[in-house]
Amino acid sequence: MLRRHFRCAASARKMVSFLPWVPRRLFSAEVSKTHQHHRNWTIKQVTKSNFSETLDGIKSHISTSDFIAVSLQKTGSFSAPWHRVSPFDTLDTAYLKAKHAAERFQVLQFAVCPFTITGSEVTAYPYNFHLFPRDELKMGMPSYSFSCQTSHLISMAREGFDFNACIYDGISYLSRAQESAAKVFMGNPISANNMVESIATPSVADTVFIQRTRSRVKHWKNTFTDSTTMTHVSDALVRSLRKLVLGSEECHSRPCMNIDVCSERQVQLVIEMLQEFNDDLVPLIIPAKRGGTQLVRVVLTSSEEDKELLQRELQNDEEVQTKRIRGFREVIDLISASQKPVVSHNSLNDFTFIHSKFLTPLPTNMEEFTSSLRLAFPQVIDVNHLMKEISPLRKVRNIPMATSYLKNLFFAPVDVEIPFQAWANEGKIHGHNVVRICQLFAKLCYILKLAPNSVESNDKNLAEALKSYANIFNPYSSVPQEPIDEDIKIWTNSTIKVSCEDLVFLWGFRDMTAGTLKRLLQESHKVFSEEFDVRLVDKSCAIVVFRQPGLSKTFMDVLNDDSDIVGPLREMVSEGVRAAGYETYNRACSLGLWDAYLGDALDKAMAGLDYPLEADSKPKSPGTYWCNEWVIDLDEL
Amino acid sequence: MTRRWPLRAFSRMLARAYTSYSSSSTFPLKHVTKSNFEYALSELKSHVGAADFVAIDLEMTGVTSAPWRESFEFDRFDVRYLKAKDSAEKFAIVQFGVCPFRWDDHRHSFIAHPHNFFIFPRQELAAGGPSNEFLCQTTSMDFLARYQFDFNTCIHEGVSYLSRGQEEEALRRLNLRYENNGLDNLNEVRDVPVASVTDVLFCERMKNRLHEWRDWLLRNGNGGSQFQWASNHSTQQVQTIFYKLRPALCLNGFTSHQLKLIQLVTRKHFKDLSYVRFGGETSCSQQLVVYTDSKNDRDLLMKEVKDNYLKEAEMKIRAAIGFRHVIDLLSSAQKLIVGHNCFLDIAHIYSKFLGPLPLTAEEFVSSINTYFPHIVDTKVLLNSNNVRLPRMKKSNTSLSSAFSLLCPQIAVNSNKNSDLAFRPCVNVEVQVDDTRSSNWSSGVKHEAGYDAFMTGCVFAQACKNIGIDFKSHSSSENLTHNDKLQKHINLLYLSWISGDIIDLSSGNMIAEPSGSNNFRIRRPKVLFENIVLIWRFPPRLNASKLRECISKVFGPNSVTSVYLVDETAIFLQFSKAELVSEFLVLKESLERSNDAISVLHPLSELLQGGNTCAAGYETYKEICSSPISKVLFAEQADAIGIRWKTKLVGSEPEAQSQEPESFSKENAATTAPFLSKKIEVGNKQRVIDDLLSGRSRCDEVIDSFLTAEVKQIGATN
Repeated sequence: MLRRHFRCAASARKMVSFLPWVPRRLFSAEVSKTHQHHRNWTIKQVTKSNFSETLDGIKSHISTSDFIAVSLQKTGSFSAPWHRVSPFDTLDTAYLKAKHAAERFQVLQFAVCPFTITGSEVTAYPYNFHLFPRDELKMGMPSYSFSCQTSHLISMAREGFDFNACIYDGISYLSRAQESAAKVFMGNPISANNMVESIATPSVADTVFIQRTRSRVKHWKNTFTDSTTMTHVSDALVRSLRKLVLGSEECHSRPCMNIDVCSERQVQLVIEMLQEFNDDLVPLIIPAKRGGTQLVRVVLTSSEEDKELLQRELQNDEEVQTKRIRGFREVIDLISASQKPVVSHNSLNDFTFIHSKFLTPLPTNMEEFTSSLRLAFPQVIDVNHLMKEISPLRKVRNIPMATSYLKNLFFAPVDVEIPFQAWANEGKIHGHNVVRICQLFAKLCYILKLAPNSVESNDKNLAEALKSYANIFNPYSSVPQEPIDEDIKIWTNSTIKVSCEDLVFLWGFRDMTAGTLKRLLQESHKVFSEEFDVRLVDKSCAIVVFRQPGLSKTFMDVLNDDSDIVGPLREMVSEGVRAAGYETYNRACSLGLWDAYLGDALDKAMAGLDYPLEADSKPKSPGTYWCNEWVIDLDEL
Repeated sequence: MTRRWPLRAFSRMLARAYTSYSSSSTFPLKHVTKSNFEYALSELKSHVGAADFVAIDLEMTGVTSAPWRESFEFDRFDVRYLKAKDSAEKFAIVQFGVCPFRWDDHRHSFIAHPHNFFIFPRQELAAGGPSNEFLCQTTSMDFLARYQFDFNTCIHEGVSYLSRGQEEEALRRLNLRYENNGLDNLNEVRDVPVASVTDVLFCERMKNRLHEWRDWLLRNGNGGSQFQWASNHSTQQVQTIFYKLRPALCLNGFTSHQLKLIQLVTRKHFKDLSYVRFGGETSCSQQLVVYTDSKNDRDLLMKEVKDNYLKEAEMKIRAAIGFRHVIDLLSSAQKLIVGHNCFLDIAHIYSKFLGPLPLTAEEFVSSINTYFPHIVDTKVLLNSNNVRLPRMKKSNTSLSSAFSLLCPQIAVNSNKNSDLAFRPCVNVEVQVDDTRSSNWSSGVKHEAGYDAFMTGCVFAQACKNIGIDFKSHSSSENLTHNDKLQKHINLLYLSWISGDIIDLSSGNMIAEPSGSNNFRIRRPKVLFENIVLIWRFPPRLNASKLRECISKVFGPNSVTSVYLVDETAIFLQFSKAELVSEFLVLKESLERSNDAISVLHPLSELLQGGNTCAAGYETYKEICSSPISKVLFAEQADAIGIRWKTKLVGSEPEAQSQEPESFSKENAATTAPFLSKKIEVGNKQRVIDDLLSGRSRCDEVIDSFLTAEVKQIGATN
């Protein structure tokens, strides 16, 4: 309460200080009213058919803008209630949950909006790309299958989502990792010019191999260079015979010959041997589908210029092919190459998706993830985090809520200008979210005085200031949730500070409400005479929050000892109720035990305790991502 | 928004008309979505009742959840069942074609009623919808798209369903909830923290208002003019009505938080007022404060409310059954069900509409036989020698080619009276909504309704070819008990690739008559006890190199065949079963020792990198039975918690130990310990999640948050 009043006062003060600006701002607020009605926002819808023509446009918009907002439309976010990020998750477990979701679900729309903020003016170029992981290469890539969360699809349908547009005309893509795999699979020739490491001691077998190959190459080359033989054997039959005998083929309308190799050593030998010949032979390495080299292809060029031409042709071929297999990732690469700040809402979720679909498979922990992501996107700004800066305690977790919150408390006139010409009425317009993110970001910048190009500011300092907000991946429970069971309201004071040592997971009970559970526990042991809270994580498992440090340990000891257990708890334990601390939960997440019920996952995590796990051995110093203490809003549990 | 879909459907129809034959009339097909489901169901009831047989066909979102789960030649029958089970559990049905066929003696033709149901597993019930999540195989979705499948209609308008198991579970939970909770607890909030000043003010105001209202009621006597009190307050939020013959205050436009506070106030301060909610948990529920003049009256009211509540909840569960009514109809009518290569279809039907699939094929078969006692697979029928046409190639028994070969008069309707007269053809007319037609252009392949129609036509023609005379049999009992058909009923291909047939009435496995499958390339006979499974071998080893490497150790003829499961795993069949255990023992000992001999051993090439894992065939089954599906086999083995590298098998043939558990126990001493995971199967379907209930109503929640937000902010300012 107090804080809110303070904020109001602050905003009022701000208004005063901006007084000379007021008339203009009022005017722009007028204008923005018409623009804010998002039906008027022109968002360029991109599908397979207009993708290549859009690329140039977005390329120039990315290069001229200050920020790039992104927003993803996915097929789901969690497959069981406990898989969604909850307030008791640490950054590590939240990452593991986000990773699990990113690996299962699919992105169907990817909205990209390069934008520039000038004072209170936002110039935005929103594009909405329709994606579908079509297996263009028939290699099971980019994804063999994906999950859909039924309720998620239904709510998308309610917003008028066009599934046909995505599945029929969605743009496909390959991640960076998949692209290199695809290249190997497609057996693109690799120029072998730069690999000249001589082999010190050729064995007898090597010598025999080399001699045989040398004579073959010589013979083959002679048939082409020697014009006299050419005329003799111009007969088609002889030519085809020669093709059979010599293994001669054509490569880029030049004669070429394939030499089978059995090892990388032989590749070396062949290339070394080929250097004995004139420069008109170009060796190409054809990779095998399962790694390694399948054969060396020798191409005969007619001159030095022809040789260069061939190199160019090969490069060109590769580029065309690469473009085709990259598909939508071209846009991701453009954003990445620009190194501009990327603005998103709920960045942990979006960027785990981006990393796994367009870069490489997700690493096993948060630390590696952030460092890997930073290489591609040096600055990721989460509007949620900026929002938290303004109202640390309020839960404004979705964009409309945040916008209305700001509207009521702050004076932040922001006018979104979309210079796209109105497209012929396309019927369905998707991807408004990305413009809302731009708008919200601009407002937050205005309020936090981060807006570039405002009169009193220095751009360089601003960039520094903004940097301090970048790359913070706080987990947010994104979905406003209803409690599992309307009956439970056992919380007296909703926001408390707890350490993960004070949390105990309890499972193995049957069809019980948190209220009943709490009552039973209260009757069972003296540790429960102190204040504590019980919440159901899902219907199989509850979390017990002790307010007093150390009590959780006493409770666990009691459970393990069993002589001390009395009353209903004894009854429950003999019926199979089990308990575990936070480390077991962490372990279940790290092991990827994503069972439908948390109880089952914890059971398995307990069963596998004999196995040392990387995550267990990790030092749990507070400095790392393991946060030992945090504020829990119990109403969100 | 909804107005656009018919337009799209229309444009789809147009596109179809252009792509199909020049004839302008499309194939008459009854499309059923949730809007016309009730009516279509009642119509279908009479059609099925009168039908001689009912043809069905399903379209799914996918077939295999991982490449290594695809159907292979070296699948043992129990593994085949596990693969079908996995598929049925993971993927969703998006279209269900039902086509009853009735013989019309007067017209000397069959009358077909093709129905095309769009299905989507939406969660109609807050707790326990059909499925929380389903898988889509990218290639299958692409395939459906190629045949112009309308995903929008499916997701926006698809009919939902509840399986029998889910219905029982929902009813059980409902009853449990109302038995456990006393009358008072029915819909009460125990403690709402009245934390903020706004809450306190609001409570105070509501208390005053309720006081006022009650005093006004008492003053005017029950049944006084309601307008007087209401008009005192300009707000539309409260209104006096009558609920179950008692005066009540109707609460409108409050947020859920405010309603909770009102509920709290009512309970705390008013003995004669009760807070009542009806209309279930949906967004259209209605909240009332009801006046009761005595405690008895109050208890009576609460009982009435509770009964109402139960009834409503039960009705909702009934309504959520949706498409399962069609399955129940087919099951209870006991008609002959006709499908084409339909084992997977039947598995889907079981898993979606009856309950979780049993663990073994035997249990599945006996269970399905009680629901559908007569099933005919046209693929089996066509491959029995006496049905096929001489010019029909054995390998070409796909539905569409069988249809155009067997029923050219139906497939290409125009040349009905031409040169085909020499062969006795079955006539089929199509009836949709009382309009009968015998002239149409071809339908769209892989649209469930049309596929079901084709299946039925193929069946009718096949029956004719084996000499069944429809004219003399007018009722369906005769068809299911027909001597000529009898030997084909209840036989389904468990796998088309190997030709394994399962007999649904006995549960026996029947190999295809040897003469009929000579088109298949015969590989060496698969002996499962001779098979060793190797995965995570060095990536540069291919099948021939692997074979070579092992032949070096066990002799040139020791390896009969090598099958690639995927790029990370292979099956290797030895000539003798003993070699399996010899190989595994050798591998284990080589891995344990680190001396020169083991490094120079020919097998070490296989073990390079130290990741190579090997086990007997039983392990493949174990891995197949896991609900997890990683794309690569090696990843899958890791994911289900295999931490050992070699799993030794006993010297006796593996096939004798049927139980994987006992098997592993028996070898427990020699195998490395592994995460003992009870693989739970079949439970996926029952993921009933309470938390999700809020998700689908996300919008409303946001809205109510917003209004609360605005109000609170307004109050503080």
